[in-house]
Amino acid sequence: MLDGILIGLGTALTPMNLIFVMIGCFVGTFIGMLPGLGPMSAIALMIPIAATLEPSAGIILMAAVYYGAIFGGSTSSILINAPGVASTVATSFDGFPMAKQGKAGKALAIAAYSSFSGGVIAAIFLLVAAPFLASVSLAFQSTDYFALMVLGLTAVAAFASKGDVLKALLMTVIGLMLSTVGTDQTQGVPRFTLGILDLTDGISFLLLVMATFALSEALIAILKPNDDAKRQQEKEASSQLGSMAVSKEEVKEMVPVIGRSSVLGFLIGVLPGAGATIASFLAYGTEQRMAGPKKGKLFGKGSVRGLSAPETANNAAATGSFVPLLTLGIPGSGTTAIMLGALIGYGIQPGPRLYIDQPEVFWSVIVSMWIGNIILLVLNLPLIPYIAKVLAIPSRFLLPFILFFSLIGVYFVSFNTFDIQLMVLFGAVALLLRFLDFPMAPMILGFILGGMMEENLRRALLINNDSWSFLWERPLTLSILVIAGLCLVVPMLSPLFAKMRKAKQSETPTGD
Amino acid sequence: MLLCKDRIGGLLLLIFSITYGLLSQKIHLLPFQANSAFHARTMPEVLSVLAIGLSVLVILFPGSDERPRFAGLNWGLGAAFLVLMSTYGFLVRPMGFLLATSLFLMVGFALLGERKLWRLVAVAVPTVFAFWALMTYGLDVFIEPLPKFMRG
Repeated sequence: MLDGILIGLGTALTPMNLIFVMIGCFVGTFIGMLPGLGPMSAIALMIPIAATLEPSAGIILMAAVYYGAIFGGSTSSILINAPGVASTVATSFDGFPMAKQGKAGKALAIAAYSSFSGGVIAAIFLLVAAPFLASVSLAFQSTDYFALMVLGLTAVAAFASKGDVLKALLMTVIGLMLSTVGTDQTQGVPRFTLGILDLTDGISFLLLVMATFALSEALIAILKPNDDAKRQQEKEASSQLGSMAVSKEEVKEMVPVIGRSSVLGFLIGVLPGAGATIASFLAYGTEQRMAGPKKGKLFGKGSVRGLSAPETANNAAATGSFVPLLTLGIPGSGTTAIMLGALIGYGIQPGPRLYIDQPEVFWSVIVSMWIGNIILLVLNLPLIPYIAKVLAIPSRFLLPFILFFSLIGVYFVSFNTFDIQLMVLFGAVALLLRFLDFPMAPMILGFILGGMMEENLRRALLINNDSWSFLWERPLTLSILVIAGLCLVVPMLSPLFAKMRKAKQSETPTGD
Repeated sequence: MLLCKDRIGGLLLLIFSITYGLLSQKIHLLPFQANSAFHARTMPEVLSVLAIGLSVLVILFPGSDERPRFAGLNWGLGAAFLVLMSTYGFLVRPMGFLLATSLFLMVGFALLGERKLWRLVAVAVPTVFAFWALMTYGLDVFIEPLPKFMRG
C-alpha cells in the first residue's frame, strides 16, 4: 500500500497535475455555484478538455472538478438558498438561516472545514477498502460481472425517492436501450441506425450526458421567467459575507459530528445507486435525533451541527462512490458513471485489473482526493468572496455561454455537426422528461453499463456453452442476483407494507 | 388524475419502447447467428419487453397525481433556443467558428433580454476570439475560424 501511495504521490504531485487539481477545484466551484448546474454537468463540461490530457491528469482534473462542484453547490445553498445540486439541499437547512443572521462567512467556513474533513477521512477509508475489494474481485468471472451490473442498475431503483421506483427503473432500461444503438460489437450488425451513417458508431456518451444535464439544465433556466427580487438578494448575499472565523466551542461541537458523518457518508457512498444526497439527509436526520430535544430545536435555525453533518456526509459519500468504480468498474452514482465513461474513453477499463495494470491511475486518483480537499480549503475558501461574484453575473449572459460550451464540447470531440443536431434533439427530449419529473441519472447509468452488461452476458454464455444455468449454478452470481432481486422488490413492496400498517393502526381502537 | 405527469411520461416512453421493439425486428441476422443463444437481437428484444412492461406499470400506477403546469414558463423562448442551437450546428462549418459563434452568443443574449448592441458585441466577440486562440494555440485543437468564401 505504501508503494501505491508513493506512486500516487509521484503522479499527483507533478507540477502539471497540481495545476490541474487547482484548475479543477476552481472551475468546479465556479460551475457548482451556479444554481441548477451540479457535479454531473461540471464533469461533463470538462470531459472534452480532459480527453486531450493523459489519463492520470484527465481523471485528476475530473475528480477535482467533482469536489469543487460539491463545494460550490454548498456555497450557493448557504448564500442564496439555491442548492446547485440535490446533495447540498440539506446544507441550506441551516446554512441559509446562518447567512440570514449575518454569519454567511462562518457558515461557509464550517461547510469548508466539514467538507475537507469528510473528504480526507473518507479518502483514508478508500485507501484501505479499495485495494482489498480489488483483490477480492479478482476472483470474479464474467458471470459475476453481469450479475454485479444488474445489481448496480437495480440499486438505482432501490434508492429512488418514494413513488419514483418505477420511473427510475424505466429510465434505466431506456438508457440500456440507447446503448444498443450502433454496430453490434460481436456480430458486426448495425442496430437502430435508421440508415444514418453517423449512428454507426452509436450514440456518444458525452453527447448524451451533455444533452441530458448541461443543455437541459440551461434550457430549464431559460424557461423560468426572471425573478428580479431574487437576483437582488443574490447580489446582496454575495457582497456581504461577514467573518469567517470559527470559535473553539463551535469546533468542539463539529468534531464528533464530522467523525460520525464521515463514516455514515462513506458507507452510503459505497453502495451502488445511493449517494451524496441520501448520505447528507441521513446524516442530518441522525444528528438531529442525537442532539436531543433542546439542541434539536435549533436545527433549521442555523445550527452548527445541522450544517456540518450534511456537508461532511456528502463529501465522504462522493469519495465512497469511487470504491465500486475503481474496484469493480461499476459506478456508484450518476457522477461516477460519467467518470466511468471518460475512463473507457481513455481505453482504461476500471475494475480489479486497474489496481494491477495501471496503478498510477488508481493511486493518483486516491491521492489527488487529498490534494483536492486541501486545495479547496486553502485556495478556495479565501477566494469565496470573489468566486461568489459569479452569482451576480446576469443569467442573460451566463445561459448562452453554458449552451455554447455544451455544444462545442461535443463538437470538438467528433467535429461532426450531426452530433450538434442530435444533441439538440436529446436536449429537448430530456427537458420534456425532466419537466415530467423523470430522473436522468438512471438513464446515464443504464447507458454506460449497457454495453458492458451485454458483453459480459455474451461471454458468460460462450463459456457455459450457450447455457443460462450459470445464473443459478454459480453461488456468487446467484447471491448477487438475489440481492439485486431484493433491491428491486423491497422498494416496490414498502409502500404496500406502509399502507397495510396504516390500515391496521386505523382499525386499532384508540382506547377512549 | 387521468393526465398526470407520470402518465404522460409513461405514455411517451411506451410509444418509444414499442417503436424500439418493432425496429429490433429489423436487425439483420445471418442464418447461423439466428440459431445462437445470444445474438444481436436478444438484448434489444428483452429490453423492449421490459420497457413496455415498465411503461404500462408507470401509466397504471403513477407515483403522484401532479398535473403538468405549462403556464408561467417561457416555452416560446425555449423553442427559440432550440432553433438557435440547431441553426448554429448547420452554420458553424460554412460560416466559420468565429462568426457563427459570435452570432450565436449575440442572438442568445438578445433573446434573453439584452438590448444594447455594444454590450452584445463587447461580451461575445472578445470571448469567442479568446476561446478560439486558447483552443488553437493552447490545446492544439484546430477549428476553422473563417467563413467558406474567405478560406484560401
